[in-house]
Amino acid sequence: MKWARAVLPPVVVGILAIVLWEVTVTAGRIAPFILPAPSAIWAQFVEQRQNIWEAALASGTNALIGLIGGSVVAVLAAMVSSRFRPLSEVSIPFAAVLNALPIIALAPILNNMFESTSSIPRRLVAAIIVFFPVFINTLRGLREVSPLHQELMHTYAASGWTFAVKVRLPGSLPHVFTGLRQASSLAVIAAVVAEYFGGLQNGLGSRITSAAAFTAYPRAWAFVVGACLLGLVFYLTTLLLERLAMPWRSRLIA
Amino acid sequence: MTAVSVSSVSKIFNQGRTDEVVALSDIDLEIKTGEFVSLIGPSGCGKSTLLRLIADLIAPSTGTITVAGKTAGAARKEQAYGIAFQQAGLFEWRTVLKNVELPLELRGLSRAERKAKASEMLALVGLEEFAGHYPAQLSGGMQQRVAIARALAVQPPLLLMDEPFGALDEMTRERLQSELLAICAKTGTSTVFVTHSISEAVFLSNRVVVMSARPGRITASIDISLDSRDEAGRQSPHYFECVTSVRQALRGSPLKSAS
Repeated sequence: MKWARAVLPPVVVGILAIVLWEVTVTAGRIAPFILPAPSAIWAQFVEQRQNIWEAALASGTNALIGLIGGSVVAVLAAMVSSRFRPLSEVSIPFAAVLNALPIIALAPILNNMFESTSSIPRRLVAAIIVFFPVFINTLRGLREVSPLHQELMHTYAASGWTFAVKVRLPGSLPHVFTGLRQASSLAVIAAVVAEYFGGLQNGLGSRITSAAAFTAYPRAWAFVVGACLLGLVFYLTTLLLERLAMPWRSRLIA
Repeated sequence: MTAVSVSSVSKIFNQGRTDEVVALSDIDLEIKTGEFVSLIGPSGCGKSTLLRLIADLIAPSTGTITVAGKTAGAARKEQAYGIAFQQAGLFEWRTVLKNVELPLELRGLSRAERKAKASEMLALVGLEEFAGHYPAQLSGGMQQRVAIARALAVQPPLLLMDEPFGALDEMTRERLQSELLAICAKTGTSTVFVTHSISEAVFLSNRVVVMSARPGRITASIDISLDSRDEAGRQSPHYFECVTSVRQALRGSPLKSAS
């Protein structure tokens, strides 16, 4: 019952929106290059499912490698920064600059730095985009150690390293996952968008641009749906990992 | 044997600045092995500061402190004391058992030894069936009992407690007082107990040390010898006499010379 009440409203609204969309497009005679009907997109989606799957696999791999690489570097950087206060004061503006870098500006430059058959530029773009939310949130979490825990560890004569591993890191996990949740969707967007600017053309981004270039708009939209699903898979996987990593939280909900 | 020896200790915060505060001045205190001593006084009298000095969480401005014959710093590094605060301060991501195991982990005990010892301590505070729970699933009183079990885990010769029952309701508090006494009797631990409750101090202690504020100093030291520390003890005339003399000492009237 409770489950149905949580799931039903968004599903109903979603179906209504699609029906409304379909009716508007067909009744209003809207040209497909402005907005194709959902039925046309669905037909393309079914027809192109093999291509969508392969492109999503390529983009997903890039996004995943970027996400993991960027997150690992971000967590390590946050740990180092939290240990040395002056460093964290220097690193935050530095990270903010990195965050302000638009992928649109970065992707073409990175594409030129590597061979055209290289997957590295797209993965780098994803990693750079992922870095900031994970770094900032982790740093905040690492800094928020209760003074009581600090004193307790002091009375146990715990070393700085022990303290970091046993108290700071587990205590910061909720913050780390806040960052990862943002980062997981961003990684997919970055991996897809990076392909708009050249480089190896085997992912969702290049399929969207090429379909649009051939004025095959329903096909372009079918790949957009694929990108959307890929982002959703990343986000939900992160949520699942969050549950698994923090049993003390999920156990309370149950 | 002396468990704790504090001699001519003073503590000045922000020394040499305009907001300088003399928290403690000229403190001398000897605590014998196995003795239960309460520190009582108005807020701001430095009783918590004194406890933290003994715990080597802060350093004295002048004077020396020894714990079990060693300097306070050396005693801390050997985990020669267990400590509990007003807040339980459990680690929310660790189960109850793992919380109690933490000080043992840092001592480098093996997994099996840790588990055995921690389970024993949990049984002592009556929480063995909650070993697998997370702290947030327990009530405040249960969390405080876990904190006490954790403080006792390394079986320290000295137990330092800073208003550990301060945030609990009266019923829970009295039950935990009795439990604490039983544990101390069983383990032979010396205890320094900070409180602002006169009845609590009298019921628990062999000696109540009364302090006054600004500057914090010891104004009286009152020996308590209750025949029994149970419900009958709480009703006995001697208990009420002691409560009265502590109260008078706190007000700073007649008994001032008792120290």
